[in-house]
Amino acid sequence: MSETDSLRSDLLEAMNFLGAMAAGLEEALGDPSKSISYLAGEKLGLQFSSGANRVDDLQDALQEVSSILYKNHCLWAFEPFKKKSEKEMVHLSQEGEEIMLVFRDCMIRQSLFCYGHPQKGSLCNMMFGFFSGALKNITGYSSRLEIVHAGENACYKRLTLFRKQNPLPA
Amino acid sequence: MVHVEINESGCRGCRMCVDICPTEVFEFDEPARKARVRESEDCIGCLSCSYLCPSKSITHSDFPVVKNFYRDLQFCRKKEAFL
Repeated sequence: MSETDSLRSDLLEAMNFLGAMAAGLEEALGDPSKSISYLAGEKLGLQFSSGANRVDDLQDALQEVSSILYKNHCLWAFEPFKKKSEKEMVHLSQEGEEIMLVFRDCMIRQSLFCYGHPQKGSLCNMMFGFFSGALKNITGYSSRLEIVHAGENACYKRLTLFRKQNPLPA
Repeated sequence: MVHVEINESGCRGCRMCVDICPTEVFEFDEPARKARVRESEDCIGCLSCSYLCPSKSITHSDFPVVKNFYRDLQFCRKKEAFL
């Protein structure tokens, strides 16, 4: 078996394991399984972003998250999105700043589709956790990544950065 | 930029595309009882509308296609011989 085949084989095994774990956790625990995935993602986000630049602007922070993912070979490409009728990418809400994100290549969606698991489950919460952890290190604020729509070829999510709360200690 | 089109003669007026689209690309033409594209530029290319459309009347072009992971290594090895 060539090196590429071996890597693919490992990847398939990991995807199979992740999908089966998520499906089993959801069945056994119900909603609390989302917390487990969230915490796993948050830990990953905190670890990957430990040496990241501290920035204040939300769009710059997202650029930093994107480069962290790239450096760590994670297939989680995303891009900010605004409708044609909207002027600004970032909106102010009662909780802080909001931005809409489109996720195209997502290793979680790939894993779910590969083994026929539904979207918006506990594994999707891992992404929420990752962003939360990474943005904590980069901006110093907590955040929420909410799935607005889970599609076949892309997902649409709302990221809220809670600027109106006190910043977290560095 | 993603471009969306609805084949008017195929649309049955079920409104599923209008309901599922997260960025309100479609609107419903009440007199004609058919869906129509309101703002093609707002499409994110999730393809949920074309996946759901019962008459497969919605087509997209110029959208980024997510490349699926290989599912079966033996099949992939055979396929790669032609690439």
